[in-house]
Amino acid sequence: MTVDALDPLIHVPARLQIVATLAALPNGDALSFTRLQDMIGLTPGNLITHLRKLEDADYLTSEKTGNGPASRTSVALTHRGRAALDAYTETLRGLLNGL
Amino acid sequence: MNGTSDRGKTETYDDEGGLDPREAARLLAQTQLQAQRELDFRSSWLSLLAAAVALVAFGAVWLSVRGQHPYKGPTAVALVVLYAVVLIRICTVVYAHRRAKAGVSGRSVSQQRAEAAALVVALVAVYALMGALAHDGASDAVVYGVYVATATLIVLGTFWAARSAVREDWPGLGLSLAIVLVAAGSAFAGPRGVWLSDGVGLCVVLLGYSAAEAWLLRASRSAA
Repeated sequence: MTVDALDPLIHVPARLQIVATLAALPNGDALSFTRLQDMIGLTPGNLITHLRKLEDADYLTSEKTGNGPASRTSVALTHRGRAALDAYTETLRGLLNGL
Repeated sequence: MNGTSDRGKTETYDDEGGLDPREAARLLAQTQLQAQRELDFRSSWLSLLAAAVALVAFGAVWLSVRGQHPYKGPTAVALVVLYAVVLIRICTVVYAHRRAKAGVSGRSVSQQRAEAAALVVALVAVYALMGALAHDGASDAVVYGVYVATATLIVLGTFWAARSAVREDWPGLGLSLAIVLVAAGSAFAGPRGVWLSDGVGLCVVLLGYSAAEAWLLRASRSAA
């Protein structure tokens, strides 16, 4: 098994942090964009870029509520995203055992 | 985790497009640990405060009733101390909970509201039953001593045990069951002794839980 076996979408530090942080929430829960940014420490632009990539792959969903300054964006891991993190963790474990 | 240094590291890795498996495993474990800690309102400090609250609240009541013959129940001053420290405990828990759950929405939020409503109804029922016992002529020693001290803790402990079991929170389940056992055992100490036994028992159990929390946190940190 090589590093190529790891999901390339998750195998990037920022996205790994995003997915791992969202996976700490119970199923069906979402986290606001600002709290996620606060927890991970990425710039808004950087976080948006990574979130978009994960959303395009159906690993997470985002929902915007409200209008204007009161608007709020929440992101949540999908079942597919949670399964992808589980598979990534398993593959990583296998790789480390083989080292 | 230091946000600034991690952000720098993240951008570098992104540019290179690669990440060593060991580095990835370390980052994954650290992130999971940090997220779980930040999203959980409980801490060993809160448990320490709860231990102090239990000792002061029950201790104040015990001091006010220990010389009563016949038993009449806690004095107004003791009740003020009891409710004041309980209020402090509630405020700190609410503050910690709000801080931990800031930005979180979804199913668990509505579940927690339903749980809180169920707990309030259960506690109101405890006091309604206390009123019924007094109305039916039960002695002050039973109504304002053994019953109120024991029933409140058994209801709180059982509620938290069920909640912990559903969430597979085994340390929380252990704590709740220990509280139920302390309450049930203290009932044998009589209307005066029940307050002292509850206060000391709860304090010991909560100190043990606080130590266990600190130990588990240190163990998971070193594993990460």
